[in-house]
Amino acid sequence: MRKQFRDTVMDLAERDKKLVVVLGDISHFLFIPFQEKFPKQCFNMGICENTLISVGAGLSARGFHPFVHTIAPFITERSLEQVKLDMCYNEFGGNIVSTGASFDYAWDGATHHCYTDLAIFRLIPGMEVLQPGSRKELDVLIRSQYNNGNATYFRLSDFGHTLDVPVQFGKANVLKDVGAKLTVMTAGPILGNVMEACGDLPVNLVYFTTIKPIDKEIIARYRHTQILVIHDAFGLHEAICEVPELSVTNYGLPDRFCVWYGTVHDIRKMIGLDASSIRKAVQDKLASKPA
Amino acid sequence: MTPFCREIRKNILHASKASGHGHIPTCFSVIEMLCAVYETMKHDPAKPEWPERDVFILSKGHAALGFYAVLAHYGYLKVDELKTYGAFKSRLGCHPDRLKVPGVEASTGSLGHGIGIAVGMALAFRLQDSSRRVFTLIGDGESNEGSVWEAVMVAVNLQLNNLTILLDSNQSQVRSLPIPNPAERFAAFGCDTIETDGHDLAALKSALAKPGTTAKAVVAHTIKGYGSKTLQDNMFEWHRKSPNPEQFEQFVKELEAA
Repeated sequence: MRKQFRDTVMDLAERDKKLVVVLGDISHFLFIPFQEKFPKQCFNMGICENTLISVGAGLSARGFHPFVHTIAPFITERSLEQVKLDMCYNEFGGNIVSTGASFDYAWDGATHHCYTDLAIFRLIPGMEVLQPGSRKELDVLIRSQYNNGNATYFRLSDFGHTLDVPVQFGKANVLKDVGAKLTVMTAGPILGNVMEACGDLPVNLVYFTTIKPIDKEIIARYRHTQILVIHDAFGLHEAICEVPELSVTNYGLPDRFCVWYGTVHDIRKMIGLDASSIRKAVQDKLASKPA
Repeated sequence: MTPFCREIRKNILHASKASGHGHIPTCFSVIEMLCAVYETMKHDPAKPEWPERDVFILSKGHAALGFYAVLAHYGYLKVDELKTYGAFKSRLGCHPDRLKVPGVEASTGSLGHGIGIAVGMALAFRLQDSSRRVFTLIGDGESNEGSVWEAVMVAVNLQLNNLTILLDSNQSQVRSLPIPNPAERFAAFGCDTIETDGHDLAALKSALAKPGTTAKAVVAHTIKGYGSKTLQDNMFEWHRKSPNPEQFEQFVKELEAA
């Protein structure tokens, strides 16, 4: 998805001289072609995430469309206050593009895991919070949102799904509606596992790429069903629960640090987010009596 | 003390007394610096959004009342409005809001933020091939924040010679984490560094006017509460307090003698 990010902003930069990429010493080699073609529009600024956001805000204040990009926990958790104040409160919006969220960097351990980003950013007034699940979805969402003046978070992943979903900002996708009494709701790359797990089960399936603003209309449409949220981060479940009078169960992350290494697939299996564990959880839910 | 700087300080006292809000000592330490900036910058109070204006950001946002009083002196606000400082529905909060107050370019208050925004704006002007300049005023307490030094490193690395960082070196951190020899530190970080008396308007203006090859640091030695002996001698006690009528009279008397 990172390559798609580079390709999309390179294409946009052909026509938009106000587009500026600010790197936190990540994706340096990936962006060399961009830097060579648009030397005044790309800066590898260093490992200083707080300042990356503040500089992005300053560029935005003077009419530029910044993309600030580095590793997920550092640009989100470490720089939360800069995003809240410098970009959002000041209304100096810009694009924050992370890589390696959830357990994409499983092998690096808990210091590099990031599962709070969506949840904390959705609490900031005025923010747009996006979790594309594939390269194509990322391309569509960047083109749609990057220069609207708002602070927008794009959560990239190196492990996107391979499904073809026609996404639109602010809209959820009903991928399956069989009139079932159970509706599975999910977001981002984990859709691949969810689809594999329950594509043939008697459940409805709703997919989100926009965590904020959440598509309340589609959620409310499934109010008469049991809703099972399956996600590998915090934020989606909380956003769904903003819709009143729902019956929601969350199937996601445990309340403990993930202390294993390996790959994202190893971690997902360990915490029950691989396809077979998800299938079992959905089957258990189908077999249980409604609350 | 320059008479108009004394007048600005009196306006701060009036506003603090009327509103019940303080931060007087920190405001008193930055008045000459703020005036030097406004006498150096390209700006037009009649057109705060003038596209060719230079930009000032008060990174140490808690000196807002001093900032408002200076903005009033240069015609951005009516002096009478200063009395609404910190009141519900006033435009003038205890930290400045750019969406409310003409002349305020960034909303600040949390320390270590304004300087980073200033770096971004200076980079923006560079990219626009503009001659516009950016000035930002930081505190020595604020300089405890790591983000200040991140921003300085980035500004120097980008050789942003359209950026001037003014340090209010008023010794506010003697009780916790002081910044000894701040000029040495800014020079070590690569800034064009000028050390000056922060209450000498002419010296400050001369420092601001001096051209450089990279980001400039003007390390201004100031006295917290400058102009009032009582405030100077009790800067911590008076950090957030506002004066009662007797104290107000005392401070005005001290100001007139300064």
